[in-house]
Amino acid sequence: MFAQLFTDIASLWAKYHTMYLTGILNTLILAVVATLIGCVIGFICGILQTIPCGPKDNIVKRVLLKIIRIIIRIYVEVFRGTPMILQAVFIYYGMPYFFGVSFKDIWTVSIIVVSVNTGAYMAESVRGGIMSIDPGQFEGARAIGMNHLQTMLYIVLPQTLRNIMPQIGNNYIINVKDTSVMFIIGFNDFFAVHKMVSGAVFKYFPSAFLEMGGYLILTLVASFLLRKMEKRLAGKSNYELVNTDTLTMSAGTYSYPRDAASPFDETSKDYKGEKA
Amino acid sequence: MSEHILEIRHLSKTFGTHAVLKDIDFTVDKGDVTSIIGASGSGKSTLLRCINLLETLTTGEILFHGQDVTAGKINPSAYRAKVGMVFQNFNLFSNLTVLGNCMIGQQKVSKIPKEEAKNRALYYLNKVGMAPYINARPDQISGGQKQRVAIARALAMEPEVLLFDEPTSALDPEMVGEVLDVMKSLAKDRMTMLVVTHEMAFARDVSTHVVYMADGVIEEEGKPSKIFSDPESPRTREFLKRILNT
Repeated sequence: MFAQLFTDIASLWAKYHTMYLTGILNTLILAVVATLIGCVIGFICGILQTIPCGPKDNIVKRVLLKIIRIIIRIYVEVFRGTPMILQAVFIYYGMPYFFGVSFKDIWTVSIIVVSVNTGAYMAESVRGGIMSIDPGQFEGARAIGMNHLQTMLYIVLPQTLRNIMPQIGNNYIINVKDTSVMFIIGFNDFFAVHKMVSGAVFKYFPSAFLEMGGYLILTLVASFLLRKMEKRLAGKSNYELVNTDTLTMSAGTYSYPRDAASPFDETSKDYKGEKA
Repeated sequence: MSEHILEIRHLSKTFGTHAVLKDIDFTVDKGDVTSIIGASGSGKSTLLRCINLLETLTTGEILFHGQDVTAGKINPSAYRAKVGMVFQNFNLFSNLTVLGNCMIGQQKVSKIPKEEAKNRALYYLNKVGMAPYINARPDQISGGQKQRVAIARALAMEPEVLLFDEPTSALDPEMVGEVLDVMKSLAKDRMTMLVVTHEMAFARDVSTHVVYMADGVIEEEGKPSKIFSDPESPRTREFLKRILNT
């Protein structure tokens, strides 16, 4: 009985493999691009929501921040709380009513819908990631004179990114699968190919079998790459001691004045270590 | 006559209805090593955090070279760059290496070119004995080493005053010495320092000025020899008797 299945799959593949491959490629591109844009949206929302603001700040700033927070709140709740398949229909068919123009390009609409949807989830992940950073990191940065933007860019966000990497991976894998709902507006993704092919030749199960395998390969490769990336972001687990003498003196990179005494500096009169 | 770097005038701080600092007045001159001592909860750390504008004052003013930094005319970030701070819990940036920790402020805040920032960072890391560890990340080194890096990070900004908020309180006893050694060497270099500490030996032997705080007010201040041998206030005497006998 398996023999029949494999012949069917083989014949499907022989006849339609370019369509399946195009579908996979489209799914992949949409998922990658939309996840990246979604992350950017999420980071922007997360940063805007965590700008510190106290009763001592001026009224314009406070009102502005309040409005921004409300807008982000509404955005997150609406796009997290409705099905993406409906959002796609809503935006694609709603545009003519609101703006008098309709999108000609399915790609543009699809990328917008998936990005905006991902962004709504990422906004909360980023907010959580920022809140999980030790307040000492903010204080340390402020104490050396960094402003809020610098603190965020160089200290907090790199740590946040590392912490929410699993979340980003989650969203990416969800996107690989959920972009399949874009067939509703005619996006030619991997799943749309299944609908077309099985509709044409009535081989539902063999085509579904192929599709299952294809999606699994896409997500397994993604999982593997994400793990690698997480490891890289975590940094090296070892470090090498640097020989101070060669690095700082003989190599000539060390040119800062050395007039002050230090108990750790062997050329100093205050040196506390063992005398040569 | 020495130059006033910091003047604290009528500083008060309340959290809700709880007054943590009440009408604090004192000055820090160039080259002073001022130790702030007192029981836990007396407001020492809050005072230091107010001076670095990490807490907003309720009333009062802080003059830096005669200019009020609380009035909003001076950018708090620019002021903080000139007033270094060393924390009890180090607060090293965990996403950066030891070297990166000492360079980031110079590069981003003081806009110093990378090469010079690196040289300066190496100079100060060498001064605190941490130059061999430039490639390590903060979670890979010991508490005493972290605190020495934190001191180097603050020094790399070349501040005019360095504030220490109980720099040895979170350390294991055998690591306290290495941090105090660094601080002593800074005192020798005439670095202006303001140190909140429970290390009475440091307050007595290294500092030039001692401030004793109790319940949010300065109970007594003066030369360490005077405070430690002949305190005027009975509360100071009681505090010192208790802490020196244990």
